[in-house]
Amino acid sequence: MTPFENIYRPAIMKIAETRDEAPGVRTLRLEFQDPADLQRFRESYRTGMFGLYGVYGEGESTFCVASPETRNDYVECTFRRSGRVTTALASAEKGDLVTFRGPYGNRFPIEEFHGKNLLFIAGGIALPPTRSVIWSCLDQRDRFGKVTIVYGARTVADLVYKEELEEWGRREDVELVLTVDPGGESPDWKHRVGFVPSVLEEAAPSAGNCVAVLCGPPIMIKFTLASLKKLGFEEENVYTTLENRMKCGIGKCGRCNVGSVYICKEGPVFTAAEVAAMPPGEL
Amino acid sequence: MATLLYLESLSDCFASWRKEGLTVLAPVGEGALSGFREVERAEEANFDLLITRTTLKELFFPRTEPMLGYRIGKREIETEEFMPPVEGRIIFGARACDSAAMAIDDALFDWDYHDEYWFRRRESSVVFTIACREPDEFCMCTSLGLSPDSAKGSDVLLRPLEAGNGWQVEPVTDRGHKALSSIEQHLREGSGATAAPAEVPVKFDLEACRSWLANKENFESPFWREISERCIGCGSCTYLCPTCHCFDIQDEGDTYQGIRRKNWDSCSFQLFTMHTSGHNPRATQGARWRQRIMHKFNYYGGKFDVDSCTGCGRCTRECPVDMGVTETLQTIAAKQKQSERT
Amino acid sequence: MSLQEHYRSQARELLAAGAVKMVVGYAEGTTPERRRPVFITEPEECSRLVLDARCRTNLAGYLLREGLLSDGREIAVYLSTEGVRTINILAAESQLSSAQVRILGFEIDRDEVKAMEGKRAADFSEAILAHKERRKKQAPDELAAKLEAMNAAERFTFWQGEFSRCIKCYACRQACPMCWCRRCVVDNNQPQWVNTSSHTLGNLEWNLVRAFHLAGRCVECGNCGRACPVDIPLHLLNRKMTGEVLEAFDHYPGMDEHQEPALASFRKDDPETFIL
Repeated sequence: MTPFENIYRPAIMKIAETRDEAPGVRTLRLEFQDPADLQRFRESYRTGMFGLYGVYGEGESTFCVASPETRNDYVECTFRRSGRVTTALASAEKGDLVTFRGPYGNRFPIEEFHGKNLLFIAGGIALPPTRSVIWSCLDQRDRFGKVTIVYGARTVADLVYKEELEEWGRREDVELVLTVDPGGESPDWKHRVGFVPSVLEEAAPSAGNCVAVLCGPPIMIKFTLASLKKLGFEEENVYTTLENRMKCGIGKCGRCNVGSVYICKEGPVFTAAEVAAMPPGEL
Repeated sequence: MATLLYLESLSDCFASWRKEGLTVLAPVGEGALSGFREVERAEEANFDLLITRTTLKELFFPRTEPMLGYRIGKREIETEEFMPPVEGRIIFGARACDSAAMAIDDALFDWDYHDEYWFRRRESSVVFTIACREPDEFCMCTSLGLSPDSAKGSDVLLRPLEAGNGWQVEPVTDRGHKALSSIEQHLREGSGATAAPAEVPVKFDLEACRSWLANKENFESPFWREISERCIGCGSCTYLCPTCHCFDIQDEGDTYQGIRRKNWDSCSFQLFTMHTSGHNPRATQGARWRQRIMHKFNYYGGKFDVDSCTGCGRCTRECPVDMGVTETLQTIAAKQKQSERT
Repeated sequence: MSLQEHYRSQARELLAAGAVKMVVGYAEGTTPERRRPVFITEPEECSRLVLDARCRTNLAGYLLREGLLSDGREIAVYLSTEGVRTINILAAESQLSSAQVRILGFEIDRDEVKAMEGKRAADFSEAILAHKERRKKQAPDELAAKLEAMNAAERFTFWQGEFSRCIKCYACRQACPMCWCRRCVVDNNQPQWVNTSSHTLGNLEWNLVRAFHLAGRCVECGNCGRACPVDIPLHLLNRKMTGEVLEAFDHYPGMDEHQEPALASFRKDDPETFIL
């Protein structure tokens, strides 16, 4: 008989680095312990894909791979401490062992973005999936046109990847627009105050030859899509990611579908046109 | 001339298989206590039973399946993989609806990722299906394009002899042929008349149902709430369903050692899709029942070209509040027909 | 006029007058033997309402459906004594207001269905008291007597056998009008008090936790046993607990809506020899 191949077996990962991003939000950099697992990851990981991050005894939790495909010798994830697994992951320290299963799902077709202007829009804790695409593109900067990043959070403290925001802000080849919700600003806040959709409309990036990547909470997505439409963006040129409760990540356990679409297999990356075709009641 | 297997030599067949190291399972018990269990002799089996309460799927996809054992040290994690048992099995006396369900679920468990917990058991099992002679009022295999003597998912099909003393034997797969060769000496060539298969009335027009379900406007129809108003949200229909395959993955143990398991789960449960944030994309029982029906008669067919229902009728037969697929689809078919008329 | 007709016309009047917004009752089912819960909101639909000795389901639990009573309006519901006691407990546990529940009372005596007079839960106290007295004298059924005669090890083996069939479909919980927790203990995972797996330990934990949670609250309506797809005699556990609580505290659940829960109230003269 052929060797037993267990599709539910995760890779063992060592925490190489931890970083607190915002209250309750943490980033882990994970390194593969088994070279074969690393090899598999390198061969298959593309930006947009997700994984199941786990702690034995607690379970597994799904989030995107926050690191870019151009830096594929480790896995980074950023998550909010909320349930049983994320609490365990958040309490793990550098050097501890956790698990990773993946990468799963589809990806952002960034080859198709070559030669185009890129507009990244993210809200709050949804910067991680966007950040993966941002770095995947910035690491091959000359293939793309103008790069604009619009990022907003409820308060200044809730902004994640603060160091990277500074770095993007310093770069001449990136236009960074930062905003916080009214009342969320600190005394020394130098950026904008306002909700992402209106800030986006003020910034008014041109829709010509431009692809937008939009990630955020459902309510933000809804209003931002309307703003993008006003700015002339076609739904086919707006990409987003969806998430749902998952257990297997590979199309078997039967809970992540929105209508007929399995987020884990056919997503998590969709165009706004694809999302619009899904039954709204299931989102 | 046909190959016949007489009931009187069945115990000898069981003995021959057992001698080869195979486990023989057959329908045993009555009513709620019935199910497939290991038997040594033919008398232990209950072939008069129309259908077991629990289904064949349990033999391939157990209620709880240990997958990985873990032991956590200071700087290392030891894991142990639990493989499914692979000893050969003869499953003797399945019903056509239950056997067909196995073939339907093959598609899901092989969808890009090959689930060996399912397939190792499938490959090591030989399913002998006995055609039904008598349906009950809940049977509806014919409404799903199947029949009481359908060979789908079976390795050997047995047609009861009119006299009730045995079966006509029809091998379906290579596995079936092989299992039959082990009991060759107990098989007879003959021409005994076989009983007519059960006449199962068609209860709804499946094509009409498919059309109604495919119409996007009907997704938000108040029908879903109305038809499931009395649903109490238990998992009885899904757990007794031969094709329902949804599961949960759970760690049991403590921070130092334990087992990661694959457990049955049900789309009827509120918790099934609930996010940690409290947001639930399927917040109502109506949305959950819609998911079950859509999954079976729209989504699954769209992906695997087959509906995820074989018409065993258990969902209606055992529902504590008298719901089920049958009534839902009957109502849907009627709605479609009405909309076609107007 | 048969009771069925009588209650149909009452239901019709109540709906037509706007006194209630809905009638929760019984309708015909898939087979002639079956009855099913039905929710009637239009007077002309009342002809669907059925009442006979096959109407066994305790319908009280449906009143707790999210949002159903939140508008303050009344709902009429067909209830037997067990159902009325359920309303009393649910009111005592602040899950509903009995003033919103208009009762169409009935009792099943062998194969006969009889009217039980009254509109509000409080009107049925005599019938409930009679039930309590009867319950005190009731001898255990055959299986219960057999279990009582067993020693602890034998009983444990018996229950392990029964629970081995449990598939954790939670039909018992979902059918139980007393299981109103928004998040059941088994669905809590921080910490995971009860194993969710359907193995020997998980099944034992689940069924025992449920039995304990119902001690002094179960009205013995039988919904759990009827719902169980694998016929585990759950009623034996609940009856045993009810009997113990009745004997120890003279507590019969659901006497009225001011009754304190037996296992959540304390008195100086409680016979709590096992605590201090």
